[in-house]
Amino acid sequence: MIWHIAKRELYDNLNSLRFALATMLLLGLMLTNAITHLREHPERVQKYRDAVAKHQSLLTSHAENSLYELAQQGPGRLYKQPSPLRFCAEGGETFLSDHAEGGYHRWSTDTLKSFWILVYPSVTPNVDNVHPEVTKVDWSFIIGYVLSLIALLFTFDSISSERERGTLRLTLANSIPRHTVLIGKFLGALISINIPFILAVLVNLLVISTSSNVHLGTEAWERLGIIFIIAILYMCLFLVLGLLVSARVQRSAVSLVILLLVWVTFVVFMPGTLASIAGGSASSGPTRGFYEYSWQVHNELSAQYRSRRRNASENSTQKVQSAGEYVIKDAEQQERLHEERLKQRIDQVNRARIITRLSPVTIAQHLLESFAATGFERHLQFLENVQSYARQFRVFIADSDKADPESLHILGVRAGMSEKPVSPEAVPKFEDALNLSKDFNIAATELMLLMLFVVVLMSGAYLAFVRAEV
Amino acid sequence: MMMTLIRREILDNLMTFRFAAAVFIMLLLVVANTAVLIQDYERRLAGHNTAVKMHQRQLHEKKTYSAGMEKLLVDRPPNPLSILNAGFDKRLGNEVLASHGYVPSLWDANMHGSDNPFMDMFASMNIVFILEVVLSLLALIFAYDAFAGEYENGTLRLVLTHPIGRGYILFAKYIGAMLCLIVPLLISLLLAVILLMMSTSISLSTDDFLRIGGIIFASIAYLSVFYLIGLLISAATRRTSTALMLSMFVWGFLVLVYPNVILAMITRPDAWQAHTASTFNKIEQIWEEFDRERKHLLATDDFPGEDWGFELRGWGSRYAYLWGNPRSLLYTYESVMEFHGFGEKDEHKMPHAQNHFRFLGSEVISTADRTWLIRKPALENIYIQPANVKRTWLKLSPVGLYDATTQALAGTDLRGIRDFFDTARQYRQQVVDYLYDKEAFGSRQWFSSDKEAADWSGLSQFSFQRVNAITNAKRALPDVSLLLTINIALFILIFLIFVKSEV
Repeated sequence: MIWHIAKRELYDNLNSLRFALATMLLLGLMLTNAITHLREHPERVQKYRDAVAKHQSLLTSHAENSLYELAQQGPGRLYKQPSPLRFCAEGGETFLSDHAEGGYHRWSTDTLKSFWILVYPSVTPNVDNVHPEVTKVDWSFIIGYVLSLIALLFTFDSISSERERGTLRLTLANSIPRHTVLIGKFLGALISINIPFILAVLVNLLVISTSSNVHLGTEAWERLGIIFIIAILYMCLFLVLGLLVSARVQRSAVSLVILLLVWVTFVVFMPGTLASIAGGSASSGPTRGFYEYSWQVHNELSAQYRSRRRNASENSTQKVQSAGEYVIKDAEQQERLHEERLKQRIDQVNRARIITRLSPVTIAQHLLESFAATGFERHLQFLENVQSYARQFRVFIADSDKADPESLHILGVRAGMSEKPVSPEAVPKFEDALNLSKDFNIAATELMLLMLFVVVLMSGAYLAFVRAEV
Repeated sequence: MMMTLIRREILDNLMTFRFAAAVFIMLLLVVANTAVLIQDYERRLAGHNTAVKMHQRQLHEKKTYSAGMEKLLVDRPPNPLSILNAGFDKRLGNEVLASHGYVPSLWDANMHGSDNPFMDMFASMNIVFILEVVLSLLALIFAYDAFAGEYENGTLRLVLTHPIGRGYILFAKYIGAMLCLIVPLLISLLLAVILLMMSTSISLSTDDFLRIGGIIFASIAYLSVFYLIGLLISAATRRTSTALMLSMFVWGFLVLVYPNVILAMITRPDAWQAHTASTFNKIEQIWEEFDRERKHLLATDDFPGEDWGFELRGWGSRYAYLWGNPRSLLYTYESVMEFHGFGEKDEHKMPHAQNHFRFLGSEVISTADRTWLIRKPALENIYIQPANVKRTWLKLSPVGLYDATTQALAGTDLRGIRDFFDTARQYRQQVVDYLYDKEAFGSRQWFSSDKEAADWSGLSQFSFQRVNAITNAKRALPDVSLLLTINIALFILIFLIFVKSEV
C-alpha cells in the first residue's frame, strides 16, 4: 500500500511545473559548478606543484652548502595540497592560507644569525576583496540552499492540498493506517526530488571525470559516495519538515509561508548571525601589537645574553655554547609566541563553529567540507602535519650533527655545528597527507546531530498527522 | 470608487496570516541582528581607537625622523552605517603607512593586528541583506494570488461590472498591497534606527539620517520591483498554484542563483599577469636608477668609502633596503637609522651624513611621486576594472541593484573606502611638507637623537571625514533611477497584459 501511495505521489509530481523547474535549476547549477572546477582546478594544482618544486630546490641548495646552513635556513615554505574534491565544498579556502612558513628569520648580527621558526601567515585578501562578495557555486551551496528550498516546495502542500480538495478523507476512508499514508507521501517526494538531483549530480561528475585535466582516484569516489548520502539525509530533514507543517496547517498557502520563513531564518540568516555573536566574544584587541611584544621579548633575551658575555670570562668553547643557547632559546620563544597566537585564533573560530551548528545548513556544510577535505578542519590537519614535520626536521638536524665527529655538537652557531654538506635525499620531505578515517571521526558528531534532527522532525510529523483532523 | 478598492485591498491583506507572519519575522530578524551588529561595530570601534592610540604612542616613542617614518600609520574608522550595509567596510584594509617612502593606496593597507583573519570565513550579516532576502520573498507571497486568486474566485468579474477602468483596479491593487508591505519594513527599520540611537558609541549626524532616509527609499523601490514581478506572474498565469511555484523559482533564481552563477562564469582576461609584470618592471627600473644614483653619490662625495651609513659606530640600529611587492606594484627604498649616541671619532662624519640624507629624502619623495603616476592607472586597470565589470553584471538582478544602491548611500562601497585612501595621500603630502618645514632630512635628528630628539608635536593628527550625504546620493543616483525604471516598465507590462486579458 505504501508503494501505491508513493507511486501516486510520484506521478503527481513528475507532471508538475515544479519538477520541470527544479530539474532545470539543478542541472544549470551543477553544470556551472563542473565548468568552474575544470577551469580552476588545473591552475591550482599547477601552482601547488610549482611552489613545491621551487621550495624543494631551495632546500637542496641549503643542504648542499652545509648542515649549519640547512639548520639555520629551515625547511622553507610548506604548502597545503589542494583537494581534488574542492568542487564539493569550497569551505572558505580563500580565507585560509595555502602554506605555512618554515623559514622565518628576524635578525642577524656580525657573528650570529637567528634560527628559523615556524610561523603561520594569514591571507591578506585585499586584492581579491575589491570584487563583490560571492558564495561559491559548489555542492555545499547547491545542496545547502537550493536543494533544501526545493525540498520544501515539493512537500509544503502534500497533505494540506489533499485536505483542501477532500481526497485525503477519501484515502483514509479505506482501511489504511495513517503512518502508511505519511511514509508513502514521504517516499514519493523523496524519489521525485532525487530524480532531478541524481541526474544533475551524474551530469556534473560526467563532465568532471571525462576531462583529462582532473583525475579522481578511488578514495575520491568513496568520499563522493559519502557526500551523496549526506545530501540525501539533509534533504530528508527538509522533506520531513515540510510534511510536519503541511499536516498541521489547514491551507497550503499558509503552510508555504510558514515553511519559507522558517527556511529563511534557519538556513539563510542563522549562520551569519550566530557567527557574529560568537565572534563578539573576542577581546577588543591587545593594547600593543603582536610584533611589538615579540620584539620586546627578544630584546630582553638578547640583553641577558650580552650582559652575560660581557661579565663572564669564558673560554672559546663556552662562548660558542652560550651563543648557541641564546639563538636556540630565542627561536623557541618566538615560535611559541606565534603558536599561542594561532591557538587563540583557532579557539575563537572553533567556538563560532560550535554555535553555528544550531543551523542545519552549517552542519551539512561542515560535513561536506570534512569529506571533501577542504575548509577549516582540513586546515587544522594541515597545521598538525606541518608541526610534526617541523619536529622531525629538527630531530634530523640534531642527529646528522651528532653523526659528524668534527662538530662540537652545539646547535645554533656556525662554529659549533657540522659544516659538511648533507645529501638532499636524506632530508625529510614534507608530505601533506589526507586521511579518510580521521575525517570520519571528526564528522561523526555532526552526522549524529543531523540524524537527530531528522528523527525528531520525523516523529513530530507522525504525531501531527496522527492527531490531525481531516 | 478608487478609495473603496484600495481599502478593500488593504483589509484583504491586513487580516491574513501572511501579514502577521511578515511583521513578526521582519521584526525578529532585524532587531536581533541590529543588536548583534551594534556590538560588532562597538568592538571594531574599540579596536580602531586602541590602534590609533598605539600608533600615536609608537610614533612619539621614535626619537629619530627616519625611524618615525616606519610608524606613521593612519587608521580607517569603521563606518556606523556598515550596520545597515557592511559592503567593503570590514573586508578591506584599515591601516596604511603614510610615510614619505611611497604613496599609500588601498593595496598597501593592512588589517589591524587585533582582528582574527580566520573569522572572515563566516558569512557576514547586515540589515540590507536581511531586507534583500525577506522583502523580496514577502512581496512575492503577497502578489502571487492578487490576480490569479480573483480569476479563480470569480470576484474579478464582479469588480469589472462596475464602470471603472482596468488601470484603476491595477493601481488600487498595487497601492493597497504596497501600503501593507511597507508597514513591516518601516517598523523594523525604525526600531533598528532607535537601537542605533540608543547605543552610546554611535552618534548619528544629520547626514547619516539623510543617508538612512535614502536607504529606506531604495528599500521601498526594491520591494515594489518584486511585488510587480509577482503581479506579472499572477496576471500571466491565472492559476494560484502555478503562480506560486513560478514565483518561488523566480525568487530562487534572482536572489540565490543568479548572483553566484554569474560571478562564477566571468573570468579574468588573461593579459593581466603580463600587464602586472611589465608595469612592475617599469617601476622597478625607476627605483634601480634611483639606487644607482644614490650609490654614485656615495662613491663620489668627499667622504671615503661607500657605506650608506657613513661608518657611524654608535649605540643604536640601522638598516636599509630596496624592496618591492610585484602583486601590488609597490616599490620603495627604506632606510632607518636610530642612534642615540656616538663615539668621538664619529663627529666629523656628521656633516657628510646630513648632506647625504638631505639629498636622499627629496630624491625618495620625488621617485615615489613619479612611480605613483605609473602605478595608479595600472592598479586601476588590473584590479578595479574587472571588479567593476562583475558589479555591472550583478546589477542585472534587482538584488544586485539594491545592494549597490544601499552601499553607495551608506558610503561602504568601494568609492567610499577609496575616499579614505585619498585622504591618506593628502596626509602623506602634509607629512612631507612638515618634514621639509622642519628641514628633517638634513638634520641630525634624521638619524640620531644624541643631541636632540625628533619633534613630532607639530605634525597634525590624521582625521578622516566621510563625504557628505549629497555626494553619497549622487553616487547612488544611477542605480536608484535604474530601479525606478524597472518599476515603471514592469507596471506598464502588467497593465498591458491585464487590459488585454479576458476575464
